[in-house]
Amino acid sequence: MSRLIRQAVPLAGTHGPAASPQPRRPATLSLALEPAAAASSEELWAGLYLPGISAAMLPELARRAQRFTPRVSLEPPDGLLLEVRGSLELFGGTSALAEALQSRCARLQLQAHLALAPTPLAALAAARAGRDFTVTTRAQLTGGLAPLPLATLRWPPPLLERLKRLGVRTVGAALRLPRAGFARRFGRAALDDLDRLTGRVREVRAPFQAPECFRGRRELAAELADHAQLLHELGVLLGELEAFLEPRQLGVMRLECRLLHRQGAVTPCELKLAAPAADAGELAALLTETLRRLELPQPVRALELHAPTLLPLTPLVPALWQPGEHGGGASPQSQWLIERLRAHLGEAAIHGLALLDDHRPESAWTLAPPPAASGRGRARAPAAAGAPRPLWLLKAPQPLSERAGLPRRRGALRLVSEPERIEGGWWDGRDVARDYYTALDAHGVRLWVFRERRAPHGWFLHGLFG
Amino acid sequence: MDAPKIARLLEHPAIWRGRSAARLAVLPSGFAALDAELPGGGWPRHGLIEVLIPRFGGGELSLLLPALAALTQGAGARWCVWVSPPLMPFAPALAARGVVLDRVAVVGGERPLWAFEQVLGSGACEAALAWSRQLRPRDIRRLQLAAARGRTLGVLFRPRRAARESSPAALRLSVVPAGEGLEVSLLKGRGARGVVHLGSLAP
Repeated sequence: MSRLIRQAVPLAGTHGPAASPQPRRPATLSLALEPAAAASSEELWAGLYLPGISAAMLPELARRAQRFTPRVSLEPPDGLLLEVRGSLELFGGTSALAEALQSRCARLQLQAHLALAPTPLAALAAARAGRDFTVTTRAQLTGGLAPLPLATLRWPPPLLERLKRLGVRTVGAALRLPRAGFARRFGRAALDDLDRLTGRVREVRAPFQAPECFRGRRELAAELADHAQLLHELGVLLGELEAFLEPRQLGVMRLECRLLHRQGAVTPCELKLAAPAADAGELAALLTETLRRLELPQPVRALELHAPTLLPLTPLVPALWQPGEHGGGASPQSQWLIERLRAHLGEAAIHGLALLDDHRPESAWTLAPPPAASGRGRARAPAAAGAPRPLWLLKAPQPLSERAGLPRRRGALRLVSEPERIEGGWWDGRDVARDYYTALDAHGVRLWVFRERRAPHGWFLHGLFG
Repeated sequence: MDAPKIARLLEHPAIWRGRSAARLAVLPSGFAALDAELPGGGWPRHGLIEVLIPRFGGGELSLLLPALAALTQGAGARWCVWVSPPLMPFAPALAARGVVLDRVAVVGGERPLWAFEQVLGSGACEAALAWSRQLRPRDIRRLQLAAARGRTLGVLFRPRRAARESSPAALRLSVVPAGEGLEVSLLKGRGARGVVHLGSLAP
């Protein structure tokens, strides 16, 4: 089955007078429309080998390469493939096209090796070999490939080493080996590579699709300084954003809003979301909170909205239960709450609590990211045996005055428990040596106090039992 | 019509029969003596409770903790949010008292009252706690409505002098430390009035 698809899916190159780049077409459609045509047509691939290109630059180059053909495919980390059969005439033949491609790369200050071949793998391998290589028909391909070193196929080094010991150093030598024996000795995958190289088996390349982003701009009829009016104008842009996102089933995680003034720097306003969102009303409500906190140095002349990364939106399935009933569907509410609190109070507005494995009270807990939306329904936590712990802990122990060997806080404290010794911590530089007591103050409030075991043996308040 | 049928009929929450039979969605407080006095036999499942205290840390949290712990333990439990607590809740002590920590969230920031209303009304929380000094009855009314909308139990700790002001909260009590335990006075509630002495706060 896989073989069948492999032979049928490649789009037929459009030949003849209408030699403009063909429109992008889903593979399934081409499978249905032109299985026979696909098998008979011959592709022409331009392979680009770009040694040392950065991971960010490759998609960028691919985006620019789409002006030559809609069929561009990435070969990370340093390869790019373009199917150019349909574009040859438009760009004036192979050599003119190759020149145009090279000059594009030079403009981006990229060193590129280019090769043209009827199969993608051959184009890549020839480009990697760094030779001048232009083969336009499959009939000439095997002969053209023969002198290329095998290393251009990027097989695993042990495999190349074994072939080398047999005296097989070039593609031609490998192709001359008997197929059955080759597959048995060097693996089916290597033989498949050779088949794709020569075009015996058609290779389907995943097409590159430039990631989409949204940019909107709105010039204001008059300069505005009023938040409410700005929000109204922003609502129009958010409506455009929603209309852009909805048919694509995408949502935004980060929204950059720029307020432009007549003079001076742009006022940025950024919104971060906990989950992808696309609803204009929801985004407007969140942006309201962020915008309210913003000080505008001058009236605003224009608004820009930019959504750099778009993510697939998980559709909201209405829950069967009301929130709170049988613990049903609490997730959208908690996302909404996190976002709202963060938009209004800042990034650190909400956090969770977690335990740390340490016996020193101040090191036994930590702040954590906000908890997940819905609980897993755990059994009751095992009650910790041993000395009681206060429900409230002071950020730092607070020194207490002392009279007659007893601590004081708004009057004398009464110690009502045996001491509990907590010591240690030399390993991280926060060494403690303390005797903890439960104490009652004059108003009946239970306190957690300790006495330093080191001189000067001071008393400290560390917690309230609450 | 026989007696059991009538009894079942009268159990309907819409039928109000003074203090004896008002059936509310409630949550056991964990203290039998208190449950006996609270309307419906426990803390209201949603709505706003006002707890008036002479000073912070006098045992008022221990009074609520059994109910809070139970709320965090359910399958699919929502959050239990602490809005701008005066001190940091000590996580090991909460865990030791049965609170499931990954249901607990702490909200900080400058506007506790606004945050509390958001938390109560969001529907994302089982319970929410807040501490406040200055509140107008109108604010409490808003909080009460938000708690009902979000089906959340809201607990508002206020100084004792607030007892003089009227309050739209569903339940209002005053808590004073007394020896090892607490003295809980029910100031307002559906049919509730009385004083409960809790001998010990040990869980």
